[in-house]
Amino acid sequence: MFDTLYIEKQIAGHARTQDICARFPNATRVECDRYGEVFNPKSQNFRLQKRRPSLILAHKHHGRVLETPPGYGLGGHRNYYFSHMLNCLYDCRYCFLQGMYRSAHYVLFVNYEDFETDMETLLAQADTEPCWFFSGYDCDSLALEPVSAFMKHFLPFFSKRPLAHIELRTKSTQIRSLLKMEPIPNVVIAFSFTPQEIYRELEHKVPTLERRLQAMLQLQQAGWQLGLRFDPLIYQQGYQAQYRRLFQQLFSQLDSEQLHSVSLGTFRLPRSYFRNIVQLYPDEPLFAGTYSVDNGMISYPQSLEQEMTAFCTRELLQHIPESVLFPCTLAA
Amino acid sequence: MINLVVALPAEARPLIAHYRLTDKTTMGAFRLYRRADMSLIISGPGKIASAAATALLAGQNTSGEQAVWLNIGIAGHATHATGVSLLAHRITDHATGKSWYPPRLFDLETASASLITVDVPENNYHQDAAYDMEASGYYAVAGRFSTAELVQCFKVVSDNREQSTATVTAERCAQLLTGKLHEIDQLLGALAALAQDCNSWHAAPAGLERLSSQWHFTVSQQHQLAELARRWKVLMPDQPLWLGELDGKKNAAGVLHCLQQHLDSIAPGLPQAAHVPRV
Repeated sequence: MFDTLYIEKQIAGHARTQDICARFPNATRVECDRYGEVFNPKSQNFRLQKRRPSLILAHKHHGRVLETPPGYGLGGHRNYYFSHMLNCLYDCRYCFLQGMYRSAHYVLFVNYEDFETDMETLLAQADTEPCWFFSGYDCDSLALEPVSAFMKHFLPFFSKRPLAHIELRTKSTQIRSLLKMEPIPNVVIAFSFTPQEIYRELEHKVPTLERRLQAMLQLQQAGWQLGLRFDPLIYQQGYQAQYRRLFQQLFSQLDSEQLHSVSLGTFRLPRSYFRNIVQLYPDEPLFAGTYSVDNGMISYPQSLEQEMTAFCTRELLQHIPESVLFPCTLAA
Repeated sequence: MINLVVALPAEARPLIAHYRLTDKTTMGAFRLYRRADMSLIISGPGKIASAAATALLAGQNTSGEQAVWLNIGIAGHATHATGVSLLAHRITDHATGKSWYPPRLFDLETASASLITVDVPENNYHQDAAYDMEASGYYAVAGRFSTAELVQCFKVVSDNREQSTATVTAERCAQLLTGKLHEIDQLLGALAALAQDCNSWHAAPAGLERLSSQWHFTVSQQHQLAELARRWKVLMPDQPLWLGELDGKKNAAGVLHCLQQHLDSIAPGLPQAAHVPRV
């Protein structure tokens, strides 16, 4: 899976580092002082590196758990996000990570305990108010589970703290460790979907829609709280039929009454990320269309955005109650 | 384009012969050997000389395309036997402590190692790493002209704790490099394939030159034209960049407006499924 492991000196002796290294006995190990030496240099090509990314094992010093942008969330007032990992195993062409990072290497922060300490502090500040922690924005929450043991470590923390809610956003089918646990009511596993036609063109290396749906069904049967994320909504001529088919496929099999939440948002990117991505993928049809620029964000023309959101909302409300639908109206 | 940077004439000789680099020129203190798709420069020893030679060679490439860069030479190593070849996975400048990490995106049997660039010959081999006198100067400069994946450093162990630098003669040096020509071929082949991919993504569509020569575009307009040409190539891959309506346009602004309108009329976002080529 990995030919090269870059390891920060500081965490070379960490038990988690040792465990991960033991999984890749043939990988070349390269020591570095700080992960940024490998990950951040300007002159790197994300698209080339995506062909063979390496794993960087590092220590996260600051900014481990951050507030989400205002207005973001699933109904809670205290919303935070955190990333135990940077970059994703999958290669979705619409993903902002391509424009945000210069390197396609995966960075895994092994000091999980420090993340928990920070969450503990925020929970203490919140007193009796619930806190939401969102994972899966700078990486996929589940995809590297066999290596990272992220859920295996973090979920017991949440099981003991009912006021701490976590959303694990994913396109992965790595659910074995979840199925081995008792479901935890304050944990939501949120699966992202696009229609089959979009999946085929843009979601490279992602498990098929059917496999993800199967994973959801297994988790739902086991009693886990599930979410559905239709973000980004991608325009294509005939998108209405594509999304209608997708919703029918999902809701004909999932128990929609048991769904925790459904959210949606149209394709959008910060302009600087969009520019970087176009430099990397000048030949990508997704970036050859017409976009609007508003407040530093690239998005579909407003009329199209509104049309798509209205259509998908209407369609979704035929399957779910409005109380679990959370349209994403944020700029990013 | 492939650029080779070597320190010594003895390191260069087998490469010049093998790659038939017959076109020889002298630029300042540097000797340069070329053929159509490959250049080799002899920098002389030391990281400053290597940096200068690399910059000089980079200045010869006016195409704007991503070039392959390979520093080839001999190195010392504490434990490796002489004749072992290594690709640097970390290059550290001993004087400053700064390190670079060339990404390796290809399957080759060549082992990799840390490489430390020193200012004076190293005979003690303190660390489990290769030692040379050029790589940090070369890498710091070459990395400014090509993406890091295409900039690599290939060394053959010439001395170690058993065989000191005193045993390294010009003949021995040439002999060590000659024994690695097949490996170098493979490495250059892998790097050239990566560079070719990179450059093909950015190739201009047919017809762009015609537009550029027919109307005068300011620098800002050239950027706009390049962006429209990119979209054209994706949306209409089989058609040269041209519209009948352009014939009557008096200036570049009119041309850009006409192209923009045409492309915007095709489709927003991801075009119709049937027209989308597989990525």
